[in-house]
Amino acid sequence: MSPIIETRGLVMEFPSTKALDGLDLAVPPGVTGLVGANGAGKTTLISLTLGLLRPSAGSISVLGLDPGSDGPTLRAMIGYGPERNVLPDDLRAYDFVRHLAEVKGLPRDEARSRASDSLYLVGLGEERFRALGTMSTGQRQRVKLAQAIAADPKFIVLDEPTDGLDPVQRDEMLNIIRQVNREFGIDVMLSSHVLEEVERVCDNVVALDHGTLVAQGSMDELAGVSGGIEIELVELADRPESVDQIERLLREGGATVDRAGTVFNVVGAADDELFDLVAASVAATGGRIRRLAQRRRSLDDIFTVHADSGSQPDGGTRAGARSSAP
Amino acid sequence: MNIRGDAQISARGFQPYHGPRSGVAGAVRSVSVESMRATLGLGRPARTKIFPVAAVAIAYGPAIVFVGISVLSPGDLLDPNDVADYASYYGFITLAIILFSALVAPEVLVSDRRNGMLAMYLSTPLHRGTYLTAKMIAVGLTLGLVTLGPPILVLLGYTFDGSGPDGFANWMATLFRIFVSGVAVSAALTAVSMAASSLTDRRAFAAIGIVLVVLASPILAAALVEGAGLSPYWWMLSLFSMPFELVNRIYGEAGDFPELSTAAVIAANIMWTVIGVAIVIWRYSKLVIAR
Repeated sequence: MSPIIETRGLVMEFPSTKALDGLDLAVPPGVTGLVGANGAGKTTLISLTLGLLRPSAGSISVLGLDPGSDGPTLRAMIGYGPERNVLPDDLRAYDFVRHLAEVKGLPRDEARSRASDSLYLVGLGEERFRALGTMSTGQRQRVKLAQAIAADPKFIVLDEPTDGLDPVQRDEMLNIIRQVNREFGIDVMLSSHVLEEVERVCDNVVALDHGTLVAQGSMDELAGVSGGIEIELVELADRPESVDQIERLLREGGATVDRAGTVFNVVGAADDELFDLVAASVAATGGRIRRLAQRRRSLDDIFTVHADSGSQPDGGTRAGARSSAP
Repeated sequence: MNIRGDAQISARGFQPYHGPRSGVAGAVRSVSVESMRATLGLGRPARTKIFPVAAVAIAYGPAIVFVGISVLSPGDLLDPNDVADYASYYGFITLAIILFSALVAPEVLVSDRRNGMLAMYLSTPLHRGTYLTAKMIAVGLTLGLVTLGPPILVLLGYTFDGSGPDGFANWMATLFRIFVSGVAVSAALTAVSMAASSLTDRRAFAAIGIVLVVLASPILAAALVEGAGLSPYWWMLSLFSMPFELVNRIYGEAGDFPELSTAAVIAANIMWTVIGVAIVIWRYSKLVIAR
């Protein structure tokens, strides 16, 4: 299956900064999450995808076309939902979506009916004649999605589509994005700094940090593999030192231990060996386990490993919160 | 069971679209039309209609009055052309045209940069060049509403009153002059007002800038010609005067600057138009849309 986006040594330099540095990507069809902290290069990659910027070096092709030379043809096949939440306040949602569908080349009557259809699809059927300026952030995000899909594109690019949404609205938006891909076969690339939602909705992931590629691949490849073992130990009144002893034995056995009180995240070569090591360490110290579970590696772990390996994304703040990228 | 053959489902929900697409030309047309609608407040709240309606009313007011005088004056007591001919009509609505140009271009250009529509448009088949083309068409046509509409109304009014141009050929020649005059007045003002609007992200600043350029240019020209005693060709700097001087020449009249040749008047209008367009193109070629 040919990739939706393919880049070779893609470089984008601005006078003051290098936003992308030698990016080699192959984004397959489906829903792809573009993740990274602010300043990672997500919006620059989106701008290059749409042909809004010309690369300083390297190449990019989208749907098999060069955004620079085939821009008008390509952009007729792409829907775009920008990050900016500033829209024409006086315009009604229906008129906004209809107009952009016309600009994408749909005949007037078709644009009218599809504006209504897409607004119904995103749950704004009853609200479609309201002025954009009177709508909530969540509704405006839905309007942006509606205009992105109204002209029936092959591929839509959504820049932070859940920005400013509460958890319920976020769930609804992610469900609609998933629906757009599954029911209508529209490939999606959504940028986000919230890793949980990318894990939830995306088939593939492209992770950027300071303009370089941290990881790319399918969610199964990246986040589906084991992330080690999590154990919670019982602090015994007669042997309080057993918790420390178990940690020492695990480290001596070659495992990496991330400890928070009596909870250990243990990472090693293979899960079978880890289980054996944990069992042996606990038995040797006479300790007791309250909970033991195999961990699924998350995108957060990927960023954490990347941060541990030298780079400190997000201005030096290491990935701590489960809900956001480092 | 009775099955009707003409049954159809009219609301199918969101479906794939496999029909024709209009491409760049359709995009330009759609952006032009929507920009004109925005300028005139169509499909917008009532408050956005106040200024355009007022400007249009000022522009059309004299035309309605002149036609009214022509219709109501008894017999041949008053020749309507003695009240106002087509060339001098612009003298009555100069201010309305300038104010309208100060309203239109900022609404058409500045708003898109402020509300994110520019990035949205450039993610469609449009690129910067075709986007600006669409916007220039919108500004030009909207200005045409006040530069072309009122003289045409006067022509039609006089014609129905029986005091219009004699014969079909004369009538068509007058219509042609009205058209060329309207385009001439619109061209320079469109270019300059778009240039001012490309330089600031504040509509008010752009509007003030347009009015200042238009009103200050004759003062500068007068200072150079009458104050410093330089060549009368420095009158070509007067954006306030040159478009309307060209209208006089189109109607074969000497106008207010008989010392200038018609070629110089044409060159002055071309100069202002080219300068305006060049500023717009330069500004948008440097504009960083997104990172």
